[in-house]
Amino acid sequence: MRVKVKLHASLQNGRFEEGDLQVAELTPVRGLVQRLGIPAGRVGILVVNGRHARLDDLLAPEDTVALFPPVGGG
Amino acid sequence: MAAPAEGLDPAAVTFVRCTVDLGAGTARIERLRCRNLEDVLGGVGRAYQLLAERDIRAAYCPENPLVVSTGLLTGSAVMTGLRTYFSAYSPLKHSDRGLPAAMWAAGSDKFGARLKWTGIDEVVFEGRSPRPVYALFRAGPSGPQVQLLPAERLLGLDTHRKIMALHQEHPDAHFAVIGPGGEHYESVYMGAVALSTENQFKSGEDKCRFAGRGGMGSVMGYKNLIALAAAGPDQVPPATPEVLEVNKTLLKPKAGGSTRYQPVRQGGGGGTWANLEVMQAFRAAPENNFRPKAHQAVEGLFRRNVEKDLEVRSEACFRCGIRCHNNVFERTPEGPGRFIAKFDYEPLNLFGSNLGLHDGPQTAELVKLADNLGLDAISAATTLAYVLDYNERHPDAPLLNGATFGQFERIRDLLRRTGEGLLPEIGRGVKRLSRNLGETAYAMHVKGLELPAFLPETNPGYIFAVAGGHMSMQTQMLLAKEGKTTLEEWTGVITRLGLLQAGFDAIGLCKFTGVWINSEVIARAVQAATGLPMTTGQLEQAARRIYLRGLALEWKQGYTDAEYTLPDQVFQDPNPAVQLPNFVTREYVRDLKRRVWAAFAPELQELAPTFPPKESAC
Repeated sequence: MRVKVKLHASLQNGRFEEGDLQVAELTPVRGLVQRLGIPAGRVGILVVNGRHARLDDLLAPEDTVALFPPVGGG
Repeated sequence: MAAPAEGLDPAAVTFVRCTVDLGAGTARIERLRCRNLEDVLGGVGRAYQLLAERDIRAAYCPENPLVVSTGLLTGSAVMTGLRTYFSAYSPLKHSDRGLPAAMWAAGSDKFGARLKWTGIDEVVFEGRSPRPVYALFRAGPSGPQVQLLPAERLLGLDTHRKIMALHQEHPDAHFAVIGPGGEHYESVYMGAVALSTENQFKSGEDKCRFAGRGGMGSVMGYKNLIALAAAGPDQVPPATPEVLEVNKTLLKPKAGGSTRYQPVRQGGGGGTWANLEVMQAFRAAPENNFRPKAHQAVEGLFRRNVEKDLEVRSEACFRCGIRCHNNVFERTPEGPGRFIAKFDYEPLNLFGSNLGLHDGPQTAELVKLADNLGLDAISAATTLAYVLDYNERHPDAPLLNGATFGQFERIRDLLRRTGEGLLPEIGRGVKRLSRNLGETAYAMHVKGLELPAFLPETNPGYIFAVAGGHMSMQTQMLLAKEGKTTLEEWTGVITRLGLLQAGFDAIGLCKFTGVWINSEVIARAVQAATGLPMTTGQLEQAARRIYLRGLALEWKQGYTDAEYTLPDQVFQDPNPAVQLPNFVTREYVRDLKRRVWAAFAPELQELAPTFPPKESAC
C-alpha cells in the first residue's frame, strides 16, 4: 500500500522532504521509521493524518505520516 | 560551599553571602547556614526566600534588593554548570493592583563561575548608589574582596562595548553589564543583563549571553549599578571519573535531552531553531502578533533558507559540549564575515515572522540591536508586535511612527528609540500600553510578562508560570509534541512535571541538559561535584517549593484569580489557521485552575495565607 511521508527539520538531512512510499499492509509506523534509517530515538513527534500517533500504531493505505525530531523550548 | 561530613542535613551546609550597601558604599561578607534544601541548591531557591521577607510596593525603591546568585553546581566541573541568576521585584511584571512581582532571570557563560571562585555564592545589592558604579569582586588572601568603582565612563556604551572596555582594565575578569536600556530605567522596564563570554573576548565579537526576563537590568540601572566584575584565575575543579561519567550521560541521547540542542552536523536537532519548522507544520508559529496566517512566508526563516544568505556556526558556552548556539554571520567569499546574532527560537521568531518579517538578515539585525541595547528580546519584540497590530487596526490614528507588519526600517527605528529611552510606551511593556489604550484583548502577556514565541491557545501552562512562560513552566510544546488536551493531562503535567523547571534556576545547571531536575543523573552530579547525598526525591521537593514560593509571592503582590488567564483574543476569536486542537476556552481555564489550585493547596496554605485566590467570573 502507498503512504505519504513528510520529514521535518534535521530528519530531512540525507533523505527527502516529502515523498510516497510503498509499505506492506499492517506495517507499524516503527517499520516505516526503520526503513527510512531513522533511529527511533530521533523521532520526537509523530503525526498520522493530522493526529498525534505512536510508533506501534499500524499504517493504513493513503495515510500521511509526518515525522519531526525531538524539540525543546527555550 | 562547605559540605557536611555525611548525609544531607541542610543545616550543616553553609554558603557565603556578600551584602553590598550601595548607598553607603560598604560591603559585608558572611557565611550562613542553610535553612532548607532550597538554600542548599542556591540560585532562586535562596533568592526568593529573601524576597519573600520584604514588603515591596514599587520596584524602583531602595528597599528592593537585587540578588545575584550562583547555584550549587555553578563553577563546578559538571557540564553547563555556568548559571548566574538575577532576582528582584520586577519593574515590568506587575499585578493589576500595580504591585511589582518577584522575578528572576538567568544567564550562562563564565561570570557566575568566576564570582563563585572568588569565594562568594551570592551577592545582595541593597539601596542605591549616588553615582554610577561597578562592583568588582576578587579573591583576596584572607577572603573575598569587594570594591565599588566609578562607572561614569561606561555610560552610553552598548552592552558589548561596556564589556570590552572593562575587559581592557580587568583582563582576568568576567562581567555582567547593562546596556542603554537599563540605563534608561525610567522609560525602559525591560532592561536585560548581558554576561561576557570567553568567545566574546577571543573573537572581539558581541557574543554576550543574557539574563533578560523581567527587567533585572532596569533594576541595576535604578541602583546606578552599571556593571559587575568577578576577577581571578579559572578554578574549575578537577573532573573526577564520577563527574566525567555524569558529563558523558548528559551528552548521550539516552539521557533523553541534550541531543535536541546539539548541532545538526553532529546528528543533533540543531538547537531551538528547529522548533520553528515544527510549529510551522502545525501553522502555530507566531506571525503578526501571535496570529498565524497559514501561509508559507515563515519558511524564509527556516535554517536551510537562512543559510542561503548567511553562514551559521554551532558554538558553545565555556566548556559546554552541547554547542547549542546557532551564531549567524555575514557570508563572504572567504567564509564567515561579520558576526550578526545568535538565533534561538524566541528572538528569531519574535523579531521575524511575528513582526511580519521573513528575512533572515533583517531578523538577525533586530536581534543584534536588542542585544546591544540590552533589552529583553522577548518583551521588546512582543510589545513591538502589539504596536504594529494596533497600527494595522487604526490606520487613521496610528501610534508612534505608524509602523505596521513587515516594515523593517520603521520597526528598527522603534526598537532603537526604545532602547535609548525615548519610547516609554514600548519600554514599559505591553500590559501597561494596552491598558492605557483600552485594547487589551490582543496584548500578548500573562500577568504582565510578555509571551515567548508559543501561541497562548496552545499553552494554558502560561497561566501558571511564575517567571516567564518558557522559563518556569515546561509546557510550551506539550500540545505540539504530544497532542494532549484533556484537563487530567494538563493538570498532571503542570502540577507534577512542568513546575520542576524552576529547579534548574537554583542548582546552576542549564535547562538544555534536557533532563528533569529529579533525574538520577542530576542527583549523581550533585554527589560527584559536592559530595552531598541529595536524592532525586529531595531534588523534586526542593524544586516544587521553589516554584510554589514563586506562586505565593504573586499572591503576596496582589494577584487575583482573574489575572490567571490568557489574552482575551484566545477566547473571543480563535484562529482557524492553527492546525492543532482548539481546546482552550474560558470554561477550560476555569476548570483547569480549580484542579491546579486543589493539587497545590496542601503545600501552599503554609506559604500563602491568602490561598486560594477568590474565584472570579474570569
